Amino acid sequence: MSARRLTRRNLLLGTAALAPLLSRRAQAFGEKNRFIPAVARHKGRWDTRLSGLRRITWELQRRTSVEVVPDARPFPLSSPDLFEYPFLYFGGEGEFPPLEDAEVANLRRYLTYGGFMLADANDASDGAGFDASFRREMARVLPQSPLMEVPAKHVVFKSFFLLDAAPGRLLNKPQLMGCNLGKRAAVLYSQNDLAGAWNRNETGDYEFDVSPGGEPQRELAVRLGINVCMYALCLDYKDDAVHLPLILNKRR
Amino acid sequence: MNSPTFNAWKLVTLSPLPPWALVLLALGLALGVALAAWGVRREPSRGRRVLLWGLRAGAGVAALFFLLEPGIRHLQVARMKNRVAVLVDRSASMSFPAEVGGRSRSEEVAAFLERAAPRLAELQDRFTVEVYGFDPELAPATTDSLRTPARAGTTDLLAAVRAAAGAGQGSRKLSGVLLFSDGADNTELKSGVVGRARAALADLNVPVSTFTVGQETLKDVAVEGLKVDDFAFVRNSLTVEVEIHGRGFAGQDIPVVLSQEGKTVASKVVRMASADDVKPVAFTFTPDQTGRFVYTVTVPTFPGEAVADNNTRSFTLKVIRDRVRVLLVVGRPSWDERYLRGLLRQDANVDLVSFYILRTLSDDPGVVNDQRELSLIPFPMEEIFDTKLDTFDVVIFQNFGHSDPSLSIAEYERNLERYVHNGGAFVMIGGDSVLGEGRATMPTLMEALPVAAAGPASLDAFKPRLTPEGLRHPVTAIGMGAASTEAAWAELPPIPGANLTQARPGATVLMDHPHLTVGGKNAPLVAVWDYGRGRSLVMATDASWYWAFAAHKDGSPSRAYDRFWGNALRWLVRDPDLTTLKVTADPPSVEPGRPVGVVVQARMADYQPAQDAQVRVELVSVATQRPVAVQTGTTGADGVVRLEFEPPEPGPYKLLATAKKGETDLGNGEDAVAVRAVGPELSDASVRTELMAQLASVTGGKSYTLPRDDLPDVPLLDPPVVEVGRARDQPLWDRWYYLVALIALLGAEWFARRRFGYV
Repeated sequence: MSARRLTRRNLLLGTAALAPLLSRRAQAFGEKNRFIPAVARHKGRWDTRLSGLRRITWELQRRTSVEVVPDARPFPLSSPDLFEYPFLYFGGEGEFPPLEDAEVANLRRYLTYGGFMLADANDASDGAGFDASFRREMARVLPQSPLMEVPAKHVVFKSFFLLDAAPGRLLNKPQLMGCNLGKRAAVLYSQNDLAGAWNRNETGDYEFDVSPGGEPQRELAVRLGINVCMYALCLDYKDDAVHLPLILNKRR
Repeated sequence: MNSPTFNAWKLVTLSPLPPWALVLLALGLALGVALAAWGVRREPSRGRRVLLWGLRAGAGVAALFFLLEPGIRHLQVARMKNRVAVLVDRSASMSFPAEVGGRSRSEEVAAFLERAAPRLAELQDRFTVEVYGFDPELAPATTDSLRTPARAGTTDLLAAVRAAAGAGQGSRKLSGVLLFSDGADNTELKSGVVGRARAALADLNVPVSTFTVGQETLKDVAVEGLKVDDFAFVRNSLTVEVEIHGRGFAGQDIPVVLSQEGKTVASKVVRMASADDVKPVAFTFTPDQTGRFVYTVTVPTFPGEAVADNNTRSFTLKVIRDRVRVLLVVGRPSWDERYLRGLLRQDANVDLVSFYILRTLSDDPGVVNDQRELSLIPFPMEEIFDTKLDTFDVVIFQNFGHSDPSLSIAEYERNLERYVHNGGAFVMIGGDSVLGEGRATMPTLMEALPVAAAGPASLDAFKPRLTPEGLRHPVTAIGMGAASTEAAWAELPPIPGANLTQARPGATVLMDHPHLTVGGKNAPLVAVWDYGRGRSLVMATDASWYWAFAAHKDGSPSRAYDRFWGNALRWLVRDPDLTTLKVTADPPSVEPGRPVGVVVQARMADYQPAQDAQVRVELVSVATQRPVAVQTGTTGADGVVRLEFEPPEPGPYKLLATAKKGETDLGNGEDAVAVRAVGPELSDASVRTELMAQLASVTGGKSYTLPRDDLPDVPLLDPPVVEVGRARDQPLWDRWYYLVALIALLGAEWFARRRFGYV
């Protein structure tokens, strides 16, 4: 990982990069109906990838027809306001304390009634750190829906880009994990610090190096982020019977 | 004491001995005769041997005579008069002319029976001649009554013969049947005298002599052999098969038209190859609306036709849906789309086909090879908005409005407008690309919508207001009753903004903006209307997803979103269960001369049965578009009433019902009923001489054809003879000379044996 120093010049450049988005936003019809990721504000280090989230919404706007607000809005998990943001990012570095019961109940209701959560181990941990804490809390939130590996044929790997793996800043785990509610994946979980690959500093430069694949891997991580957002928005659209044969043909 | 008059006698044995004793004694006598023969077997003189055998045998016979004690039984007997049934077909086909331009078949039979009256009278010595008309019930008939027009809807020859045979059981037996008919059986013998029908006729053991009336050289064209299912699926093709039976139309083209309540659905032309030809015709069409409809197959009436009534054949067809086939076209992925998709996908009654615009020309996905790196597929506009459009029950545009040439539907707007007009259902969901926003105005498609764009959208959050119409309308009535519906909507969170629209004249606004007004009226949020034969709905916001997700923020579950869209789909596709007044023709096809029945089920706005509701039903002729009769009634505790109309003229009819309970209007409903011009009887004017001949052959009768001068000698069973009085026995054996003969025979044998040296 590397971090770039915040200077006035970098800050101005980064702000300028968001200008096109702001102009499109002005033409929009109701901000609340656009794609704005909410961020879970838990008691651990929850806010290390906010610029990455803003970046992925920007990429979503640039690459797809989705209208976004390039922002990331943090909320306590017990907040009812979460229900105005169906996409929730739950990331963190290192362990975090157990969630309050009210947070667990609210998050369960959020996911049950149609909310989507992208969980991301910013420390790329496995069995310790964020991973241990997150798994512990998910067992409380959705005890009937354990985290399971997302199969390679899942629609999230074809919701916009055709992908074969789920890299992030790192590639510790080639696939995502997920919790299903019915046929819907309500939670997708990356242990590769997915948002770490998107994070930019104030100057607009990527904040972290990507390993082991370098910039091509970063592009794949961006594409995966867009696919995850598309999945949250379109569910299993690409598994519709009228589309599937064409998509399978592309994969050949 | 008067001695009775005996008119018959028979020889009987008067012996008191039981039969076995008589048998034993007879065997003893036979043994005696045999021993006598054995004793003289060595007698050299054949004459002596024969004499001795003869004397012993004679004595044996004489002894047997005394054992059996024969006598004469004098009897008083009578010969029973059996019945002869004259059965005359009274089915409607007997009203056809017996020959071109001649009298009717019934009149021909009546005339023959008058000529045959003397011969029938002669039969009265041995038989009781009974004359019946059958329709197919037997009814006594006279030649005068037979001259009246025959009207029965079926011909059932076997039932008539069975009834005639059965009528005599326990009293007089049936010695024969004289059957007068054209043979146009359309029930058990329709396929000929075969199988069980043949066995049943043979089992009767009664000769049936048949008299076929009518000629087969009639000129007639008839619609026969209709084959169609009772129901069909909307927007699925359906085939109706009929047979066109032409007699006397060799080499002639006959146009055949299938129409739905006056509107031509399909037409074909058939050419008759021979003077008596049957041509199958199949019409394949696609019903585009649910409900019950009257269809009619028609051929023209040609000059000189024997029967004009069989040139049309009507039937009702109930058009239902299997699953609601929904086309969802999405301008771009959004939360509004996500929750609607989630709802539609989990509904087992919905077959969802969706197309999303995931990328526009201005989007740069950052790939080198679109085909290999992107999962995007072409947007098949021509396929879904042209060739396949009619296969969808509902089309939903969700913030779909693009001005890019590659995504603009300007070319297909008229198709969509016509689709709605012709019975389809359309939903326009608002957003920043439609209803006045964006650059794609879609003016032609907008004609089919209940609202028109009226200015820039409002981005202020608001709580929609339920209008009085919305409180009752099946789309927005999401609670059990008005109070429950109001409470359910009041619980929902505000929604962030709406398109500014104005209701068109004739539109029904179900929900509106509480503050925003256009032309002095609150801006509609949800509006519906009937456009042509179709329906459309506008949701002037892209934030109805707030009712699906944000509604759960305070912890209480809400089903408002599911119910609203569920109701909307059902209303759009005219789900019969959503009507408060359900009208059902009972039966949907009525035979000529039968009353038209209708069952009306009335429900209150909360779908509870409406007891004591005042129901009014009009029977409206589809041909004239005018009511021909009106019936009224009051529903029972189950909210149901059955009404009946006097038999109307043949043709297609609509049953239009309205109902009120007190001052409350329970709405209206309709159904269709076909009153057939002809039943199966009149659809076929043919004469089946061969069938009549088979019938006679199987039963041992003979077949004849009319006209003829007199009644021929027909096979009839002889009447049985029965004892009707007392009997008197007169002994024969107790005469003295029989005893003398026996003694003389025995004495002569004894004398001869002594003489010949055997004693």
